[in-house]
Amino acid sequence: MADIVIMPKLGQATEESTIIKWHKKEGDLVKKGDVLFEMETDKAVLEAESFFEGTLLKIIVPEGVTVPVNPAVAFVGKPGETLPEPPPLPTTRQTPAASPTQQPAPTPLQAPAPTAPPPDGTPAPAKAATQIQPPAVPQRRPISPRARALAKSCAIDPSSIQGTGPNGRVTEADVIACLKIQGYDNIRISPAAKNLAMLNNLDILRIRGTGDGGRIMVQDVERAIREKPRPMSKMRQVIARRLTESFTTIPHFYVTVSADMTDLMAYRKELKDRGKSYTVTDFILEAVVLSLLEFPSVNSVAEGTNVRWRGSVDLGVAVSLEDGLVVPVIRNADSLSMPELRDAARVLTEKARSGKLLPDEMTGSSFTVSNMGMMNVENFHAIINPGEGAILAVASAIETAVVRDGKITARTMMKMTLSADHRIVDGAVGAAFINAIRSKLEDVELWKPLT
Amino acid sequence: MPNYFSNRPPNFKPATINCGTIAAYRYRKNLKAEIEAGNLTKARAIEMLEDMLTIREFEEMIVKLRSGAYEPCKGYDYRGPTHVSIGQEATSVGACFGIAPDDYITSTHRGHGDSIAKGCVAIRAMPTEQLRQRLGTSDTNIPKSELVEAALEDHVYKTIAELFGKEDGYCKGRGGGMHIADFTVGHLGANAIVGGGVPIATGAAMAARYLQEKRVVCCFAGDGAYSNGVVLESLNWAAQSQFTNHLAGDHKFGIPIIFLIVNNHYGMTGRADDEVTGVACLARRGAGFAENNMHAEVVNGMNALAVMEAVKRAADLCRKGKGPVLLELNTYRYYGHSLSDPRFEYRTKDEEASWKAVDPIEQFEREMLNAKAITPKALEALKEKVRARNARAAAKAASAADPNPADVIAFMYTDTRADTVPERFAKTKIVKAPPEIKRQDGKLTYKDAIKEALYEEMLRDSRVIFYGEDVADYGGAFKVTKGLLEAFGRERVFNTPISEAAICGTAVGAAMAGLRPVVELMYMDFALMASDQISNQAAKWHYMSGAKAEIPLVYRVSVGGGKGYGGQHSQTLESVFAHIPGLYVVYPSTPYDAKGLLKAAIRDNNPVMYVESQLLYGIKGDVPEGDYLVPLGVADIKREGKDLTIIAWGPAVPDALKASERLAAEKKLSVEVVDIRSLVPLDLETILASVRKTGKCVVASQAISIGSYTGEIASVIMEKAFDYLDAPVMRVGAKNGIAPQSHVLEAAFLPNANDIFNAALQLF
Repeated sequence: MADIVIMPKLGQATEESTIIKWHKKEGDLVKKGDVLFEMETDKAVLEAESFFEGTLLKIIVPEGVTVPVNPAVAFVGKPGETLPEPPPLPTTRQTPAASPTQQPAPTPLQAPAPTAPPPDGTPAPAKAATQIQPPAVPQRRPISPRARALAKSCAIDPSSIQGTGPNGRVTEADVIACLKIQGYDNIRISPAAKNLAMLNNLDILRIRGTGDGGRIMVQDVERAIREKPRPMSKMRQVIARRLTESFTTIPHFYVTVSADMTDLMAYRKELKDRGKSYTVTDFILEAVVLSLLEFPSVNSVAEGTNVRWRGSVDLGVAVSLEDGLVVPVIRNADSLSMPELRDAARVLTEKARSGKLLPDEMTGSSFTVSNMGMMNVENFHAIINPGEGAILAVASAIETAVVRDGKITARTMMKMTLSADHRIVDGAVGAAFINAIRSKLEDVELWKPLT
Repeated sequence: MPNYFSNRPPNFKPATINCGTIAAYRYRKNLKAEIEAGNLTKARAIEMLEDMLTIREFEEMIVKLRSGAYEPCKGYDYRGPTHVSIGQEATSVGACFGIAPDDYITSTHRGHGDSIAKGCVAIRAMPTEQLRQRLGTSDTNIPKSELVEAALEDHVYKTIAELFGKEDGYCKGRGGGMHIADFTVGHLGANAIVGGGVPIATGAAMAARYLQEKRVVCCFAGDGAYSNGVVLESLNWAAQSQFTNHLAGDHKFGIPIIFLIVNNHYGMTGRADDEVTGVACLARRGAGFAENNMHAEVVNGMNALAVMEAVKRAADLCRKGKGPVLLELNTYRYYGHSLSDPRFEYRTKDEEASWKAVDPIEQFEREMLNAKAITPKALEALKEKVRARNARAAAKAASAADPNPADVIAFMYTDTRADTVPERFAKTKIVKAPPEIKRQDGKLTYKDAIKEALYEEMLRDSRVIFYGEDVADYGGAFKVTKGLLEAFGRERVFNTPISEAAICGTAVGAAMAGLRPVVELMYMDFALMASDQISNQAAKWHYMSGAKAEIPLVYRVSVGGGKGYGGQHSQTLESVFAHIPGLYVVYPSTPYDAKGLLKAAIRDNNPVMYVESQLLYGIKGDVPEGDYLVPLGVADIKREGKDLTIIAWGPAVPDALKASERLAAEKKLSVEVVDIRSLVPLDLETILASVRKTGKCVVASQAISIGSYTGEIASVIMEKAFDYLDAPVMRVGAKNGIAPQSHVLEAAFLPNANDIFNAALQLF
C-alpha cells in the first residue's frame, strides 16, 4: 500500500498552501528526510520533507496549484503498486491531534535565502497574522479584443485607458483617443526597441527616450523592463496588507525618549567578561516586559468599541530577513527569567533567520519591539502590529554630548519611540510607560539581581 | 393545348364501385417449357442460376464473416450491417432478367442481391468496347467471353469492397452495403431508409417518360415500405391521370415504373400479413390508386421464372405507356432482420422449414437438371466457379486499401455546373405564349424576377422541368409561376398531388435520371414533411455514391412569416437545412439576386434549397433583362460602412438597411450591410473582411435564435476574427417561440429594423 504524502498544515491559521516547486519527479527514489517539494504559505516559503522511503509514484498536486491543507499531494511506494483514488479535498479543517498518523509532524521550514548577516536588532514594521483574508479579486477592466490587439500592436498599456463602451468597455475608439491625447504619433522609437517593448508588454508612452531627439532606443526599453512592476511575494503582500490596515485604521501617536545607556553598556561588558553574554536587545526586552506589567493598558488591544487586556505578555520581536521580515513571539515572556527570555529570543531569532519558524510561532503577540540599533539610526517610528496596542522602536546607542550637572559630557544615548494606539493609550500613559522603560535601562542596580 | 377547366356537376346516383380482381400465382410453366417455347435459352438459364448462386455465396460470406468462419479472408474484421437476403434470390434475379439491361432499378437495405443481379445482367449485355473500358484494358486480343468473366469478377469485387468500406468499392466505401449504387449499370441506389428509394424510382421513371427513352424503372421495396407514407404518395404520384388523359395531349404515357413489393413478410420483425397491416395481400394497395389496380398481381417470389415472366409483362406494359405496374413477390427471408436478430421470438422453425423446402435455388437446379439444361457435373463446376470467384474477390477486397482519412468529407459537393447545354436539350419551344413579366423602368418585383429566371432557364435547357402544388394553371399560391404552363406545356410544368415528400423525392430520381427539376414547396414549413427526401436523399446521394451521382435540382421553398398564418405556415427554417451537409441553401433579398441566384442554382449540379420570402414577393428592384448569374457562395455588400457590420439574409436585409439609415441619421454611424445571399456555401471571406474593418457586428435573420445560423456565423467570427472584435457579436432573430396568428403577437414575434437598430446601439 502506497504512502500518501499530504500537504502539511503548518499552523492553526494556515488554510491553504501552494506547491511552488517539486524537488522530486515521478519515478524518483525518495528517502526519509529528502526534500520533496517547496511550498509557499501566506507567511513563508518552506520545504516539505518526506516521512517515507520508496519511489515517488504519482504527483497529485502539481506546481503552482494552491490547495487547502491536508489533502494528498503525492503517493510514495513501490513501483507498480496500484494507487488508491486520492482522498477528496477536505472541506473542513481537520484537527491534527485527532489522528496521529495523519498529523503532519513539524516539517523543517525554510525561508527564502537566509543569507543576510544576522542583525542584532530587527526592522520596524511587524506583523502577526492571526487570520487569513481571501485575497481581493482584481477588478477586470473590460476591453474589447480589437482594442487590446490595437494597444498591443502599438506597444501601449491599455489598462489605464478609461473605457467608454457598454459597461465601461475599452473599445478601439478609446485606444485611438488615448494615442491621440498622448501624442503617440510623435513618439520616435527604433523598430528593435518597439519589438522588445511589445514582447515585454511595455507601454512605450511611459518610456523616456534617450536617443536623438528623444528617440526610444533598445537600452531605454531594457531600463523599462528592469523598472517593470512585479508581483509581490505572498509574504510581502501580507506585510503590505497588514501594515496598510494598521496605519490607516489605528490612530498612531508617538512619544520619544532618550535613554542614557552608558552605565548599562559598561555593566553589559562586565557581565560579558564574567562569561555572561547579553545583547542590548535582551535588556530592552526585559525592560519592556517589566514595564508592561506596570502598565497593562499598553499590553492591550482595541477591538471595535471594546478594549481587550492581555493576561500575559506575549512579546513580539521583529526580525528582518533579506526579503521581508517576521515577528516571532516569545510567549508568556512575563513568566520567564531574564536568562530564559534571552535564550528564547535567541532561539526564535535564529529560527527566523534560517526560515524554520512555524506559523504558530509568529502569531498572537501583544506588544512588539523593533530594534534597529545595529543600523546606525538616530530615531524612527514603527507601525503598530495589528492586534496590538503599541510598538517600541529602538534606535542606535550613540555617543552624545549631553549636559549633566551643568557640564557638557559624553554619554551613550539611545532614542526610543513608542507608537501607541491613541484609542486605548493616552499621551500621559504612553509617556509614563516609555519613561518606565527608560528609567529601567538607566538603573544598573536593577539588573544585577536579574542577570 | 387548352388549359384544364374542370366542370363536373354532382352525381349521387346509387352505384357499386368495382375494385376489380387481383390475379395471384398465374404462372404455370416450368423451365423445360420455357426453353421449348423459345422464351429462354439454356445459356441464359445457366446465367440465372449462376447469378442466384453468386448472391447466395455473397450473403453466406457475410454470415460466415461474422463468426470468422469465411476461409478466404480469415481474420478479417468486418464492421457493418448484415441485412442478408438469403431466400430472396429469385426476386432479384427474376426481376433483373425480366427488364432490359439499361433499365433502372432502385433497391433497399437488403439489396445486395438486386445490386449483384443488375450488374451481372448489364455486364453480359455490354458491348466489347464498354467492357474493355470498364476493366481499364486496351488489349483487343482478349475474347469477349473472357472480358465478361473478368467484368463479373470485378463486379463481385467492387460490391464486396463497398461492403467492406474500401476505396475500390462502387461508392468508394462512402455508402457501404446499404447504400450501394452503380449508376453505370442503371442501379440508382439501395436505400437504408425504408421506402426512401420509392419516390426516387418514381422520379426516375418520370424522367424516362419525359425523355421518351422507353426505359423502365424496377423499384424493389419490401413489405415494410408499403406502409410508409412516401411510398403511398409515390403510388398515387405514378398513377396520376394527367399523365395519360387529355391533359397529356399527344404524349399520353403512364409512368413506366414497376413497383416490386418484395414481400418477405417481415418489416424488421413486425409481420405485414396479420399484424401491422389490414390486408392479407399488399397487391391490394394498387386498388387505392388506379382504376386498373395498377395491373396488380401476386407472384411466387420463390420461383425465378415466375418473377421473370411477370416482370417482363410488366415492363412491356410500361414500355407501351400503360404503367405503372404493381407486383407483389411472395418470398421469404431465411435469416433475421440482421444477424443480431435470432428470429425465434416471432416465428417458428416449422415456418422456416416450409419455406426452405421451396428454396429458389434448389428448385431452379432441379428444373435445370430435368430440362437437361445442365449436367450434374456442369452444375457442380458452376457452383465451384462461383465459390472460387467470390473467394478471390473477397480476399482481394479484404486486403484492398482503405479510403484516406484526410478525404473524409471529400465528395460532399460536386464543383460541376451545366455551363453548356447539350444540343439535344438546347432546343426548346414555347407552346403558347411567354409569361407576362411586367418591367417598369428596368424594375421587376421579386416574384417576377423568380418567374423570369425560371422562364429563361427552361427556355435554355429542356431538362429543366417545374412542378409543385397548384403551380400550373393557377400559377402557384402566390402567382409566382403564372404563365409558365402556357409557355412550356404540361410536360414541363404540372400540378402535383399534395405530397411534399413525393415532390421532393421524385425530383431526386428525376435528377439522377438526367433532368434538372425545379420543384416548389408552397410553404417552407412543409419541407419538414419532406425532410427525409431533402436531407437523407437529395443531400446525401452525391457523397454516398462516392461522387458517382449528381443531383442537380432546386427546391423552391416559400417562407410565409408576417402574414398572420400562425405556427405551421410562418417558419424560417433555412438554418435547419444549412445543418444538413450536401445541400446548398440560398436566400435572396432583392429582385436582382432572386433572378441571378435562381439561375445559378438551376445550373449548379448540387441540390440547392432556394428560400424565398412572401414578404418580399412584392418589392421592386432593378433586374436586367436576359442572362446573368449571381454565383452561389458569394455575399454582397448592400451598403458600405466603417463603424458596424450587419450581416443578414432574406427579409432581414431590408430591415438592416432601414436600421442603417437610422443609425446614420441619428447616431452618425457608418454601417456596412453584408447580405450573405448563400448560407451554404458561405462567403466567409467577405464577412470576415467586413468585421475586420468595422470591429462590430450584428447578425440578423428572421429565424428564431435558438439553433439559428446566426449563431454559426457569430461563432465563426469569434473563432477567426476575435482580435478584430471591438464588441460582442450581437444576434437578432425572432423571439424563441412559435409564430402566432394574432397580428399583434406576430409583430412582437418577428424581428424588425428597430430590433436591429437597438442591437446595434448596444455595441457603442
